[in-house]
Amino acid sequence: MSRRLAIAALVALTALFAERAGVRAQARSGPIDATVADDKGKPIEDAVVSLTSLGAAAPAPPPASAIMDQHDREFVPYVLPVYVGTRVNFPNRDNIRHHVYSFSFPKKFELPLYIGTPAAPVVFDKPGVVALGCNIHDWMLAYIYVLTTPHFAKTAADGKVRLDWVAPGPYEARVWHPRLRGDTEKTGKPLTLAAGEPSSVSFVISLKTEWRIPRRTIDPYKDR
Amino acid sequence: MRVPGLRSFRSFRGQLVVVFVGLFAVILATSFLVVAAAVRASARHEINEELRLAGTLFVRQLDARSQQLLAATRLLSGDFALKTAAATADQATTLSVLENHRQRIEADVLLLLTPEGSIAADTRDPGRLGASFPLPRLLEDAEQAGEVSRIAPMDGGLYRLAVVPLLAPVPIAWLVAGFAIDDRTATDLRRVTGLHVSFFRRQEPGFVVQASTLDGADREELQRGLPQIRREGVIELAGQPHVIRVERISDDVVVVLERPLAEALAASKSLFRTLFAVGGAGLILALVGAIVVARRMSRPVLALVGAAQHVAAGNFEATVSVQRRDELGELGSTFNTMLAGLRDRERVRAELERAERLKRFFSPQLAELLSAGDESVLASHRREITVLFCDLRGFTSFAEKADPEDVMRLLRDYHATVGALISRHEGTLERFTGDGLMVFFNDPVPCPDPAARAVQMAIAMRDAVQGLLDEWRRRGYALGFGTGIDMGYATVGRIGFEGRFDYAAIGTVTNLSARLCQEASDGQILVSQRVFAEVEHLVEATALGTLSLRGFARPLLAYSVIRLRPAPPETTRSSSQDRQLAKDEPR
Repeated sequence: MSRRLAIAALVALTALFAERAGVRAQARSGPIDATVADDKGKPIEDAVVSLTSLGAAAPAPPPASAIMDQHDREFVPYVLPVYVGTRVNFPNRDNIRHHVYSFSFPKKFELPLYIGTPAAPVVFDKPGVVALGCNIHDWMLAYIYVLTTPHFAKTAADGKVRLDWVAPGPYEARVWHPRLRGDTEKTGKPLTLAAGEPSSVSFVISLKTEWRIPRRTIDPYKDR
Repeated sequence: MRVPGLRSFRSFRGQLVVVFVGLFAVILATSFLVVAAAVRASARHEINEELRLAGTLFVRQLDARSQQLLAATRLLSGDFALKTAAATADQATTLSVLENHRQRIEADVLLLLTPEGSIAADTRDPGRLGASFPLPRLLEDAEQAGEVSRIAPMDGGLYRLAVVPLLAPVPIAWLVAGFAIDDRTATDLRRVTGLHVSFFRRQEPGFVVQASTLDGADREELQRGLPQIRREGVIELAGQPHVIRVERISDDVVVVLERPLAEALAASKSLFRTLFAVGGAGLILALVGAIVVARRMSRPVLALVGAAQHVAAGNFEATVSVQRRDELGELGSTFNTMLAGLRDRERVRAELERAERLKRFFSPQLAELLSAGDESVLASHRREITVLFCDLRGFTSFAEKADPEDVMRLLRDYHATVGALISRHEGTLERFTGDGLMVFFNDPVPCPDPAARAVQMAIAMRDAVQGLLDEWRRRGYALGFGTGIDMGYATVGRIGFEGRFDYAAIGTVTNLSARLCQEASDGQILVSQRVFAEVEHLVEATALGTLSLRGFARPLLAYSVIRLRPAPPETTRSSSQDRQLAKDEPR
C-alpha cells in the first residue's frame, strides 16, 4: 500500500512539476476509468492500461526510479509498469540472498546473490516486457513492463484503474498483462480525451495459463 | 499250472484287497483327474492374472522411470548456466553445455527446442538446426501438461523422452532428454518383472521389434504372431507355447510381456508331484489297511473253511471259535450248531453201523448193548457159561469127494439154518470152523437159564439140520450132525490184535464141550453131568455112563439128550444110571 502511495505521489509530483514547467496553460482531462475483465466478466488484476498519444507526443518526464522488492521470497509487485529509462531498485528485504536475473530482450541482467539493496539500480531503457526470476527460488516471478508513454496504470483486484492528469487529445488505449493472449498492440482502442471530461475505457481480454513453477517446498524460514 | 499270485487274487482275502484298493484307486484317480483339471484351469487363470499384474506393474515401472527421468531432466533444466547459455550464448556454447549436461544424466540424446518447436541444439547431430522437432504431438502434450515423458519412436529408434520447459522464469526453450530403449533396457526390466520384455514400435503396416530379451529367431516369431494377439494369448516360440500379454504404451509403441507356459506351469507340476506322492502313499496305506481288514474279515471265513474241510474229511469234532457279533459270527455259530447236528447224526449212524457189526458176533440184544457204548462187556472176565459145540459128521470126506460148489452150498444152507437158531436163542457165536461152530450162553449178556437155552437150541438145530442133511444123504453123502454141551467157568473177553479181535471164551468148559461134540454120533446131543443137572427136568435123556475123553485124565459122565419133555418136567433117568453117573463124577 505504501508503495502504491509512493507511486501515486511520484506521479502527482511529476504532474505538478510538469504543470509548473509550462503545461500549466493546457487543460487536463477528467478522470479516465478503465476496466479490464475476461470474456466471462471476471475482473483481471495486474493488467497495465496505457494511453499513447496519437497527437503530439507527451513530453518525456524526468528520469524516475521504481522499486521491485523481494519479500518472503516473492517479488513485490508481481507487475511493475515503468516508463522507459526508469531506474529500478531491487531491495532484498529477506534475510537470505537472492539472485535476480532476466534473460528478456529489453533488459538482460543479473544481480548475483546479494543481500540488501544493490548499490546501483537497474536502468530499463528499452521498452518491452522483462521477466524477472530468482536463480535460487524457481517460483519467484515478476514482470517489469517498460512503456514508452508516461500514461499508464495497473488494475486493482476489481479489475479497475483510474488515470488522471492526462492532456486532452486523441489517444490509443492499450492493455497488457503477463498472460495476455495475443499482442498488446491488438488491444488498442482509440480514446479522445476532452478537458475536464471524465471518460472510460473497458477491455475484455483472454489470458493464457502461466508457466510458473509452483511454490510447494516446505519453507524452513517461514516462522522466523 | 497254478500261479500262487493268481491264486491269492482268487482267494477271498485277495478279492477283498483288490476291491478295496481298486475302489480307492478309482476314487483317487477320479479326484486326481478333477484336481488336475482344476489345477490346470487355475494355473492358466493364474498365469493370465500374473501377466496382467505384471503388465500393470510393468507399466507402473515405466511410469516411475518416466517420472525419474522427468525429475532428472527438470533438475537439469533448472541449471542456471544452461538457462544463461540457452538465453544468451552462441550456438556452439549452448551445444557444449547441452553435451555436458547430457553426460551428467547419462542420457543418449539431449535436445534444445525453441518454444515454437524447432531444434535449437541436438547433441547427436550438432548441425541439425532449425529443423522442426519430429514429435510435434509430444510438444503439444508438454505444453498442455507443463512437461511430459513418454516412450516414442524417434529417428528410427525407440526412446524414452522427457520434455520439460526451460524456465527463466518464463519458458525460453524446451529441453528434451532421450534414453534409447535397447536390449539392455529390456534386460533391466526383465530383472524387475521376471518376464521376457519386447518393445515394438509402429512401422506400417504393423509393429517391429525394437528391443527385446528374446533371441533373434524368437523375436521374429513373436513379431509374426503379434497381429493375432489383441491383449493376451499364447504364441509358439521355438515350438514351445508362451503366454504373452500386450501392453499398449502409446499409439506407436507396444510392449509384449511373455513367459513360457511350461515355466508358468512348473508350480502346478510340483503340485502334481505332491499329489502323486500323497496318492501313492494313500494307495499304500489303503493296501495295508485293506490287507489288515481283509485278514480280519477272512480269518473267521478261513476258520470256517478249515472246519468245513475237517468235516469233509469226516472229523465232526471241529468247531469254529465265535468272537464276532456280526454276520460272520452268526455264520460261525450256525456252523457250530450244524456241526453239532452232524455229530449227533454221525454218532447215531456209527452206533447203527457198530450194532450191525456186532450183530455178526452177538445176539441182536447184545449187539445193541454194545453199540450203546458199553464196551466194558468186552473186557476180559470170568463167568460161568454154557458152551455148545456142533459140527457135521463125515464132512471131511464129503469135502474131499464132492464138488466145491456143493460143499459151499451145503455150508451156506447149514450156516443159514443154524445161524437163525443162534440168533433166536440169543446165543453168542464164538467162531465158525468150517462145518463146526461154537456158541455160548450167559455172556456177555447174562441169562437166567443158559443151560436150558443151550439144550433147547441144540435140539432145534439137530432137528433143522437133520432135515437139511436128509437131502444130502439121499444123494449118497454120509453126513451127520453132532452136538456137545458143557457148562462151567471160563475166561471170556476180547482176544486178538489191533484190526482183528474176537470175542472168545477160554477154559476147560470149551474143551469139554468140543470133546463131547467129537464123541457125539449123528443126531446125538451129548451134555456133561452139570448140564444134565440143569436141564433134566426139561428133557428126556439117556445116560451114557463114563466117557474117556482125549485131553481129560479122568473119564466123565455124559448124557445124550433125546428130546424136550412135552409135559411139565420129570426126571427120565434111571436110578442105576444116576448112581453110575454120581460115582463117575470126580469134578
